[in-house]
Amino acid sequence: MKSLRKTIAALAALTLVGTACSSSDSSTDTTTASADTTLTVYSGRSEELVKDLFAAFTSETGISVDARYGDSGEMAALLMTEGSASPADVFFSQDAGALGAVEDLLGKLPTQSLSNVDAKYSATSGKWVGVTGRVRVVVYNPTLAPTPPNTIDGLLDPQWSGKIGFAPTNASWQSFVTALRVLRGEAGAEKWLTAFAKNKPVAFEKNSAVRDAVNSGEVSLGLVNHYYLLEKIAAEGADAVTAKNQFMAPGDVGGLVNVSGAGILSSAKHANAAQKFIDFLQSETAAEYFRTKTWEYILTNGAQQAEGLPSFSDLKAPSIDLSDLKSLDITQELLQKVGLLTK
Amino acid sequence: MKQTRGLTVPLGLAFVASLISLVPLWYLVTQSFSKGLQPFVDELMQQRTLSLIVRSFVLAGSVTAASVIIGTFAAWVITLSGIRGRTFLTIAFSLPLAIPSYLSAFAWISWKPSITGFFGAFTVLSFACYPYVMLPVAATMSRLDPVHEDVARTMGRSNFRIVFEVVLPQLRRSITSGALLVALYALSDFGAVAAMRHEVFTWVIYGAYRAGFNPTRAATLSIVLVMAALALTFAESLARGRDKSANRTTAARHRQRNASRSTTVLSLTGSAVILVPAIGVPIINIIAWLGRSSERVVDLSQVWMATGQSFLNGSVTASATLLLALPVAWSAVRLSGWRAQLPERLTYITHALPGIVVAISVVYVGIRVARPWYQEFPLLIFGQVIIFLPVMVSSLRSAFEKTPVALEEVAHSLGVGHLATLLRVALPIALPGILAGSALSMLAAVKELPVTLLLRPTGMDTLSTKIWDFSTISDYAAVGPFALAMLLLAALPTALLGTLSVMKDGHS
Amino acid sequence: MKSHALELRNVSHSFGGTEVLRDINLCVSHGDITALLGPSGGGKTTLLRIIAGLERPQHGSVSINGTVVADGKTWVPAHERGVALVPQEGALFPHLSVAENVAFGLKKRRSAEVVSRVSEMLNLVGLPESGNLRPSELSGGMQQRVALARALATRPTVVLLDEPFSALDAGLRESLRDQVVEILQAANATAVWVTHDQDEALSTANSVAVLLDGKIAQFSEPTAVYRTPQSTQVAHFIGETVSFPGTVINSKQIVETRFGRLGLLTPHSPGAVIVMIRPEQFELVSAHHTGTQVVGTVMTTRYFGHDGTVEVQLPDGVIVTVRLHARLLPEVGSTVGIMVNGQVLAFDEK
Repeated sequence: MKSLRKTIAALAALTLVGTACSSSDSSTDTTTASADTTLTVYSGRSEELVKDLFAAFTSETGISVDARYGDSGEMAALLMTEGSASPADVFFSQDAGALGAVEDLLGKLPTQSLSNVDAKYSATSGKWVGVTGRVRVVVYNPTLAPTPPNTIDGLLDPQWSGKIGFAPTNASWQSFVTALRVLRGEAGAEKWLTAFAKNKPVAFEKNSAVRDAVNSGEVSLGLVNHYYLLEKIAAEGADAVTAKNQFMAPGDVGGLVNVSGAGILSSAKHANAAQKFIDFLQSETAAEYFRTKTWEYILTNGAQQAEGLPSFSDLKAPSIDLSDLKSLDITQELLQKVGLLTK
Repeated sequence: MKQTRGLTVPLGLAFVASLISLVPLWYLVTQSFSKGLQPFVDELMQQRTLSLIVRSFVLAGSVTAASVIIGTFAAWVITLSGIRGRTFLTIAFSLPLAIPSYLSAFAWISWKPSITGFFGAFTVLSFACYPYVMLPVAATMSRLDPVHEDVARTMGRSNFRIVFEVVLPQLRRSITSGALLVALYALSDFGAVAAMRHEVFTWVIYGAYRAGFNPTRAATLSIVLVMAALALTFAESLARGRDKSANRTTAARHRQRNASRSTTVLSLTGSAVILVPAIGVPIINIIAWLGRSSERVVDLSQVWMATGQSFLNGSVTASATLLLALPVAWSAVRLSGWRAQLPERLTYITHALPGIVVAISVVYVGIRVARPWYQEFPLLIFGQVIIFLPVMVSSLRSAFEKTPVALEEVAHSLGVGHLATLLRVALPIALPGILAGSALSMLAAVKELPVTLLLRPTGMDTLSTKIWDFSTISDYAAVGPFALAMLLLAALPTALLGTLSVMKDGHS
Repeated sequence: MKSHALELRNVSHSFGGTEVLRDINLCVSHGDITALLGPSGGGKTTLLRIIAGLERPQHGSVSINGTVVADGKTWVPAHERGVALVPQEGALFPHLSVAENVAFGLKKRRSAEVVSRVSEMLNLVGLPESGNLRPSELSGGMQQRVALARALATRPTVVLLDEPFSALDAGLRESLRDQVVEILQAANATAVWVTHDQDEALSTANSVAVLLDGKIAQFSEPTAVYRTPQSTQVAHFIGETVSFPGTVINSKQIVETRFGRLGLLTPHSPGAVIVMIRPEQFELVSAHHTGTQVVGTVMTTRYFGHDGTVEVQLPDGVIVTVRLHARLLPEVGSTVGIMVNGQVLAFDEK
């Protein structure tokens, strides 16, 4: 409603020639964050996922949020193109790679923000901090696969031939492959992917489709993120869902934890408000939101996790610098080469 | 040789209008050569780049060929076949214009997941694009003078040979101009190839932005698309030929319309074969989505707001595009010399560029030279105008070509100046073409996503951003109402387009 | 001295190196109807477009009402010249009604004055009831009359008619051109009328300019153009001619030919000449008629209704075309005597 009115106002302004003077931002004060401040957030996370969270921030702090939604990668490209002229104060990204790509444009976060989170889930440079974690799992149908593998090499067993579902265009799957390249080297990654391709995995459009196929028994195993199952249980009730999550063995790259995270632009005009926003993302209000709405792991130290999830500290995710996940284009080329991405 | 003195004003306007098409070029050149010439050359010289060019052209070529066949057949059904219910079929055949390629690709995949790859992309694009051929061809067919066919028949030609020797040659201009639009659309489309996972140029360009965070690479590859657009445009102008025979003032004789039984059977069977995949599959799936359960309750007021916003954006974009396209098309038709043709050619530069490239380039230029309008409504419209200008220019061009120059000369001799002649003679006579161009731009603007996403004022929701938003979280149940609203909103200009294309002349 | 309605001085024009108009000089007086007569492709339409201001002459000047509208320095565009055009096939605006077409060039198009002017013009062209019709509802002849009304409505200094009836059938053409002349005279309009049809030019205009090969070959009254063409080219273009060698004798008034001594219409210096005779000047008589010097055999006859032509072959093989009243046509194969009536023209041999 607001935007429609804004548009009409803009149209009216257009008809008056020469009204395009400086559209003065009412609050360019960088030292205070008062009630009339408007914080601009570029969100790589979908509006439907986070708009209520942003509303909670506003009601808690009085700072209103102008959020711009888009694909995380597109938002990163937007920031890179805008450079220091960007109107953005905060970049809230769906994945670490996009944050890594714009690290040059971000300012260093205060130690207090960084120390709230395991160093593994923040930038080595200290320019962004992880907020939530998505763990790669094998979702399995207990009837068809009573003993699902818990390592990625276990997936290469011929008994799973034609029985593994995956979503080739999904960003989390591609992040996993990127991590595989980082940990095993290009040759090692190609070797695993070639063997995986030989096992005739079944491609699905989305992770949720993989999950549903496992649940219905169309395939036995599926490579997805941990929360897809929780989403289905929340929607249909635990009794209606057959499938279960297999978390990977400690250190196995198949159990990669990718994060959503946030950083403050060094050109931010509302640095104080931006910092309040980061603090809010690490607050219990936000944790409660993620626990009940997205079923992701909360990365803030000591936070309680969603019901039914194994303890985060027990997972022992593989060691990797998440900023390295930005070489996704090379991953895609490799996937094309082994025939797992395009037909 | 035509009189060009005193016409510097329209020509000047044409140049200014066409300059906006150079905005993406400015950005692309700056980006591509930001690290010197060598990386640019290296990128282009890769084996992979070459194979991408081949794959893209194979897809664009086969989609164009299929669209020409489907579009010409559909045009024949709605004009010359003489069967009953042509008005209904006209609107039905035009409807794919109302369905964005990403939406129809989603629909196909959710119905038949195995259709991915080349065949999927080819199917979705062909059935999305044939109206670009059908509309101009139907317009020409409805004005064909049947006396030519009668003459050929008296000279012993069979009906079959008449189609090839008499009818098709007269359709050459309409077919080539439609084919050009299809080829450029297929080169620049991302929605269908992404959903179908068929790797072509746009896929890699999007990948370079979204996954590789490598704008330089994206820009370099985009320059290849610019060259492809220029080459195709040039090829089309050769194929179009030099004759401007459309300057006919006398009305065509009326055609006897009564379809034989076999014609009726052929028309109806063919129509079903086209319409089921073209609109049946998408619409049935969209309706099926409505039936799915979702935890998100889509508020009807949200749908209304997004529809209103899409309508507003579409109308403003179409009007702005029209204003800019008028001097460009008019100069190209009425004035002679390269100076008059150049603005028209310039607008085609952007034609094969994927939306995200145009969006990023408007961001690049907008934030530097139009800061107060950045992420405001005017710049969003500006970005969309860049994309739709070529389609509008080509619609107007053919509309102006149909207006005999004698009428404008008479007006001058009666003491009416150039501007007044434009307003009182050229524009009213070209009105059907102007409406058609505007309807096409409006449709395209309603469906457009990347530019809207990056340039919209913060907080603005349109139908396409809502559809995108819900489909990224795979909530098709929530996508349903917005997709349906888009179909209904787009159906109006689509029906207008179809009806205009088969009207014999807009006035009597 | 009162200025001419239209005056062209030394106008030349070429397209891509081909000269289509050469040194054209032409004066049209107020109230005159001037026909611009010439073969297709002779530059007539280009000249008309130059007068209208749709084409700029490369050399020379155009004046309207004594004011220069085009020369090396001056250029008045079409819409400021007061020169109204009636193009081929009328070119009515298809999106406007008949009345709106007629009112097109008038200022304040909704005023009562305009309404009365429009009905005055429609009355003048004999279509008082058709103001609300669309052009597509009119016949070709009616469309042309509306086009004329539209042109006259603005009270132009000069009306330019560009082959206005070329698309109409012969009968309609004749009746329409009489009507148009009446209308033009009633409106006291000055007109330049482009045509390739000599009957049309000779029967409608006060003066005829013959345009041959981009030059004005003759500019005079219609009778003079036919009776005393100033060159063999004009003579051949206007009507049919039969040419024979002859010798002008010292009196300069008499030429010696195989048909005997004939009087000259205009004096010519003595010596060998080409003698030009119109087919209707011949008379066929009995081969044994007294005074007959030339006899020949009838080869063909052609019947046109009111008259006809006969081709007669002379003993030396030369063929003479003779135009006769239809009831005087001889039998094919008969032998006839040929005589010449009236005065003839002599031209220098090439």
